[in-house]
Formats: sequence, C-alpha cells, structure tokens
Amino acid sequence: MDGLSRILYIDLSEKKSWVEDRKDLIEDRIGGLGIAVKLYSEGCKLGSDPMDPENPVVFAVGPLNGLYPSISKTVAVFKSPLTGTYGESHAGGRLAMAVRMAGYGAIVLVGYSDKPIFIDIENSEVRFRNAKPLLGLSSLEVEERLRTSTRAVESIVSIGLAGERVCFYASVNVDRYNYFGRLGLGAILGSRNLKALRIRGSGSLKPIDPEGYRKLFEKLYKRIVETDAMAKYHYTGTPANIMVLNEIGALPTRNFRESRFEYAEDISGERIGETLLERKVSCPLCPIGCMHIARLRLEFAKGYEYEPIDVYYNYESMYALGTNLCLKNPTDILRLIYTANLYGFDTMLLGNILAWMTEAYELGLISDRDTNGLKLNWGDIDAYLDAVKRIAYGEGDLYIYAAQGLKQLTDIYGGRDYAMQIAGNGIPGYHTGYASILGFLVASRHSHNSNAGYDIDQQALKKSFTDEELVDRIAAEEDWRNILVSLVACMFSRRVYTPDLVVEALRTVGFGYGVDELMEIGREIYMDIYGLKSKEGFDPRRIYIPRRLFETPSATGVLSEERFRKLLELYMERRFKSSST
Amino acid sequence: MPARIRLANPERCIGCMNCIFACSRELYGGILSPLKSALKLVYDTPSRKFIVSICPGCVDAPCVNACPHKALAEQPGGGPTLINPEKCRSCETRDCIKACILGVLFWDDERRAPIICTQCGECAKYCPHEVIVYREV
Repeated sequence: MDGLSRILYIDLSEKKSWVEDRKDLIEDRIGGLGIAVKLYSEGCKLGSDPMDPENPVVFAVGPLNGLYPSISKTVAVFKSPLTGTYGESHAGGRLAMAVRMAGYGAIVLVGYSDKPIFIDIENSEVRFRNAKPLLGLSSLEVEERLRTSTRAVESIVSIGLAGERVCFYASVNVDRYNYFGRLGLGAILGSRNLKALRIRGSGSLKPIDPEGYRKLFEKLYKRIVETDAMAKYHYTGTPANIMVLNEIGALPTRNFRESRFEYAEDISGERIGETLLERKVSCPLCPIGCMHIARLRLEFAKGYEYEPIDVYYNYESMYALGTNLCLKNPTDILRLIYTANLYGFDTMLLGNILAWMTEAYELGLISDRDTNGLKLNWGDIDAYLDAVKRIAYGEGDLYIYAAQGLKQLTDIYGGRDYAMQIAGNGIPGYHTGYASILGFLVASRHSHNSNAGYDIDQQALKKSFTDEELVDRIAAEEDWRNILVSLVACMFSRRVYTPDLVVEALRTVGFGYGVDELMEIGREIYMDIYGLKSKEGFDPRRIYIPRRLFETPSATGVLSEERFRKLLELYMERRFKSSST
Repeated sequence: MPARIRLANPERCIGCMNCIFACSRELYGGILSPLKSALKLVYDTPSRKFIVSICPGCVDAPCVNACPHKALAEQPGGGPTLINPEKCRSCETRDCIKACILGVLFWDDERRAPIICTQCGECAKYCPHEVIVYREV
C-alpha cells in the first residue's frame, strides 16, 4: 500500500514533525475521506472555536491516487468557521500525486505558528521556513515564486490575502488552477499563520499486481478518452451547465429572483470556448484537461499596453459571480473571478454575498453610509471589483461583517429571507427542486457534490420518483461518493469508476473489498461525520432555509416549504432508522 | 527504419504527465515514479506552459560517444542502448548524462545506470493530444 498508512504530523507551534504508522485506519476506512475523518476526530476539541489551534487540519490521499487515471484529488478535513463544526473540501492539481510520491497517506497539521510560516516538504524531510517574503502575495504569485523545475512531483499550496486576514470563506490555492474552495480552509490556515506549503515527492508506487494494474489502467484510460463518459468536462467544461440549466429554468439569476438569465447565451461555456478560452490544464494521470483557462488582456495604459491574465473558470464561479449578479459580459465575469482568486475567496459564497448586498442596497436595508459611498447595482462590474477589494481589506463595518459570511451579515442587518446560504455555506447554482435543497442540507459537508440532489431533480423531470425513492437516492449517492472520496477520485470520473471497477482497481493494490462492503463503509463514514456534527449541536431540522427558494420557481415548479419539511422528516427517519439496526 | 517518438505538437500539452508515468510503468515493470522515466515535463511559470522533453534518439548520439567505458552503443535508427550495465555500475563521471544538451538522459541511483529511452512508444500511446507521436521516420 506504498506508504498510505504513514501519517505525517506537523506541529506548527513546536516546529516539529513526526510520522505515525496507522495501518489500523487503512484497514477500517480505505484512505482519503475515510481516514481523514478518523484523524480529525481523534484530535478535534468538541465545541471549541473553529480557530482553536488544537483542532487538526487533515489532508488525505487514497489508495488509487497516483496510479489510476482521473483519480487525482486530495481531501481536506478541518473545523469550518462558516458552519462552526466539521468542514471538508477537495482539490485537484498535483498535491495528491506529490503526497503519495513523498511517501505519505495523510498530512495532519496541528498548532499555531507565532510567525508567518512556509512548510517545505521533500520526501522525508520537513523544513519550517519564515514566510515573511510571501506575505501579501496572491496565490498566483506565490506559485510563481516557489515553483522549481524539479523532476519530482511538486505541488504548491497557499493562501492569499483573504486567508491571511482570516476571512471566513478564504480558499486555499493548489498549483495555480485548483482550489480547496469551500467552507473556509483558507481562514483556518491563515489563523495558524501558515502561508504556504510545498510538497515534493520523488518516490515510487508499486501495485501488488503490476500486470492486472497495467491492463486495468489501459481499460480505464480508453473509457475516459474514447467514450462520452467524461466528454462534457473536456469540451465545454462545467460551464456547459449555463445553457442546460437556463433551458430548464434552474439557473439562479439576480440573487435567485429568477431562474433564467436573458443573456445566458452571451456568457455560455460555448461562447467563451469560441472566443476567450486559451487552453486546458489537467491533473496528473488525467487525460481530460477539465480546467478551462481563458486569456484576457487588460488595458492598463494608452499605447496598446496590455496586462495578459489567465483565468480559470468553471460553472460555479460563473453562476455566482456572473448570472447571480446579472453580469452579461463574459469578460466582466472573468475579471471578477480573477479578482476573487487573487485575494483567495470561495467564489461561490462571495457571489452569494455580493448578490445579497446588491439586493439589500436596492431595498434600502443598507445605505450609502454602510457601503462607504459604493453604489451596488446589478451588473455593475466596477462596483463589484471595488466591493471585493473592500471585503478583502475590511474597509468599514459592512465589509468586515461581509468577510464573516452571510449568516453574520444578516444577524446584523436582517434580510435573511434572501441571504442564499444554508448552514453557513453559500448555495450552489442549481435551483432544480426539492432534492437539490434537501441534498445540500443533509450533506455532511453541505456541498452539491456530496449527493448530487440537483441531478436527482433533473432525472425527475423525465420520470417521477416517490418521496421514499427521492430520499433514499440522496442517501445512497452520498454513501457511494464517500467511497469515491476515500480513493480519492475526482467526481467528474464517477461514470467511469463504477462500483465493479473500483473493486477491481482496489484489488490491484491489495484491498479485497466487495461492492456491499464498500457501500457499508461509505455509510459508516457518513455516520462518523454526522455523529461529530450532532455532538456539536447540528440538527438539519433546525437549519433555516431561505424563503426565496420557496418563492422563485425552480425547474420542477414552485416548491412548498411544507412539502420540503416532510421530505426532510422522511429522510431523517429512513436514514437513521436503518443505521440503528 | 524503426519507429521513433517525436514531439509533434508541443503546444498542445495539458500537463497530465501520462507520458512520464507510462514510461516508468513500461521500463520498470508496472512501477510508477517521476524519477524512473526517460522523459521530462516541467511547468514553466514565466510562460505558463508545460514543456515536455523526450529523447529524440540521435544518430551519432552524443551520449553514446561520450561514454569512456563503451557501455553504450547506438540502437538501429539512432539513440543509445545499454550494452554493458556492469561498466555503468562503477562509473563516477556520468559523461553520458552531461553530454545530452537537451537534458533528457537521467541517472537511476538504484540501478546505477542511465534511464534509456527504448523508443517503445508507450508515452505516445497515452498522450491525449498527440503532443508526442510514435511513427516511422
């Protein structure tokens, strides 16, 4: 299992590191998410402040990372400043491959550094270095400063100014184009004074069945490049969703007031593909190249003086910082995404906040005095660029609260009916129906990717489900995805990695699990997380759902809160009744 | 003429590293390691480009000519082949590595020998965009 059970602990307070062998965890929980949850729960202090330095931050990889195509994610588990409890986020890039080649299955960070610190890991060597020269730099600049031309697999992880200033939804950048975007991992690293990590791995991985491995690699690789299982992610990328969701009336527009955007075609993934897309970038061993990079030129002076910038764009950022703010020009949306990435914000929650601020300003809930004279109007790119900067620097009370999330903002100013957050996390761009909202609420990490409720709603457009079928599908999907995140697979490859192929791939590296056993482990992981969250007071029945979701028509019609509450009760009953048997 | 790998469309590289690991898998019997590959892929930040380097299989190859022990010979069609690994094991100077001006001949510390491109074409087989192709030249 090539070092998977070797856990690298790094104590930021004491500036020391050590390795523990945890074969027990691998046997029980495979790797990735499974072991990250265990490592996190061993160290976290229940009920403590998310910024408490005793709470560990875990980065974990899994048994198929570094070996199979499109299995290229790293999972991070930490305490989230947004939810106040368990937090989880995933990132691609070279991190997973670098960690495996350096000989580890997970990295656990504990403690707090009194000075800004940069952690430089090269195989078994861990160095603590003064990060002063990196302070104030964007992650894009940090990546340029720290990147070398080594033949080892090298990954660079860093926070921007939003993280340094402990904005609650600061993201963590990985290798320039990838992010641990959600739930504020950047704030946690910033609160520990950790500006950057560089991981270089030059070891090797040896499958126990090399011939079986090579055959299966070829089969999976062919399935990825020769079938349409992942074609969408390669061609248009996730922005293909703009036209699809607009068509069915599920594309959040003007802070979810509408579900169709009149300029959808102008900003569509297809249009950007034809005009501004410059190149695609991939994670190790993935032939897809899902990261779509647009090239913009920004005029900074007369005389044909241009600043060339490259912007990584995807559907979620384009909805949150585009349609939801009524930006109708793709260049404007890309500039706003770029600015959000420069400071290092979660683009999704940032978009929800800017949309709320615009609406609150329009309704007179916040005034010119609150905004320090900034006039926030739908579609005004200059105002939005300015607002993002003010949030990053905390220029005035409104912007200081805005850096702490939507819940904090509405506690001060009101307007929670149209503050598009659930349990502290910003709502993603799919107003598809009940399954989307329910899935997001009950998901262990409050992500649309946890159980794909939005997909269940879209299937329901063609074939209706009973209430029982709907809630059971959400539960089963999340259990299976917990296994994928224990490998750690990219969700884009989920149609390639069917349960039987996952079983086969695990065999080549020494795991003998069958499909049923895997599903059971997936369910146990959900229960592990749910148990942690319950102990800290989380109860989905007590979470407020913004009224607007029950006013604006979704793809499956206007939703009733009463019916939603019934579905939630049904989910809780079936999910937890079956777990006690 | 035997087939050779060629860099046909270097600008199309998406940085997936499949070539690097296909090589290591082939040369080392299913083992993956970035240091056990006869190719190099760097991410060049000033140009924000991925730059792949392959062994072009030179005729009158500088690496072969540089070996003071006659441990290397030229393959049919060009490029080095290892004919006397024992000689390599005691070599301290590694003149072959230094002779490659493209910087694509690497030393394997474990085997104590250069990692030689056998021109097998595995890297091209797993390149999704024909950055590397395998063809008769």
